Amino acid sequence: MPPPRPRPVDPPTEVIPRVEDDYDDDDYYDDDEYYDDEPPAKDTPPPDSLGRKAVRGVGEALITMGLVVLLFVVYEVYVTDLLSAEKQQDATAALDSEWSSNVVTPPPADPNRKSQLNLIEGKAFAKMYIPVFGNDWKFSVVEGTTDKHLEIGPGHYKDTAQPGEAGNFSIAGHRVGKGAPFNDLDLLQSCNSIVVQTQTQWFVYRVLPMSNEVAGWASNPKSKEAACAGVAPLSTTFGEAYSKTVGQEIVVPTQGEVIAPVPHQVGAAVPADKQAKLLTLTTCHPRFSDKQRLIVHAIETKSYPVADGFVPPEMTEG
Amino acid sequence: MYGWIWRHLPGPLFLRVIEAVVLVAGIVALLMFVVFPWAEPKLPFNNVTTE
Repeated sequence: MPPPRPRPVDPPTEVIPRVEDDYDDDDYYDDDEYYDDEPPAKDTPPPDSLGRKAVRGVGEALITMGLVVLLFVVYEVYVTDLLSAEKQQDATAALDSEWSSNVVTPPPADPNRKSQLNLIEGKAFAKMYIPVFGNDWKFSVVEGTTDKHLEIGPGHYKDTAQPGEAGNFSIAGHRVGKGAPFNDLDLLQSCNSIVVQTQTQWFVYRVLPMSNEVAGWASNPKSKEAACAGVAPLSTTFGEAYSKTVGQEIVVPTQGEVIAPVPHQVGAAVPADKQAKLLTLTTCHPRFSDKQRLIVHAIETKSYPVADGFVPPEMTEG
Repeated sequence: MYGWIWRHLPGPLFLRVIEAVVLVAGIVALLMFVVFPWAEPKLPFNNVTTE
């Protein structure tokens, strides 16, 4: 605190000594016996020592840093949502206009036909719905999984299968902030549907049985439910190579084999025509951390051609 | 620091309050739109892809 400077015309200078007075009264004089006899002189507070200034400076700096960290949390959890919502909207608008502008013939009935989409990095190419998360849960999926792509929405791992193809159609998405598309991924149960729409087709994927359901799946009453038609532990339908592929798993970030065409079998032990049509979703785990990855595997159970006004019945399963 | 800034804001009290609010808002905006977007990719808690 510098001593009061002589400033000829400056009304605020009166404020300064008064503030300092109160401050010093509390800290210095109240419990000081010596000053009990005579009240401290109001007009001449002792100038702040260097040590005092230093301590105050450090304290203020610490408080400031704390506030900055809190602000960062607000940024991560809320502000990035707003920024991403805009990007997702733009991507969806671009996709809609692309879909409505170029007319395509409906896909032929041949089930083995490969619909090769033209995937361009950073551009949306499909829409994704998870009915159990509510009608409003829909995202446009973009090609690519860099930070930039994932800001727009869920991102398709390059070089993994396309929707409806044999192999592993794999998508990454944020769990916290940036729209948090995969915030509730841990809540998905076996047989929950995940619907993917491309320009020409709808694909219905269903979450595979969880690891604790695999053993007794045939006798599990759940397996008789309509929603579970076409869902069975992959080891029973596609062979032992798939024994590690269950509805949900938690892995370390280096386990890229979860998005291999046959998950956990990088060496492609299964010929392409014997591979299941899988969908794999990846996000971070636990929430707010990047220690592990939460993985959800689903298998295609149905597909429909896109037609005007047609919405797959699975979409109302919420 | 804060005391020093406050003493150096010109004008009467209500003007100083307005100036202080503008300063705080400016710093928050700087953090939100420049500093945090720059710092975020360097921090290890929002990676969602496998390697």
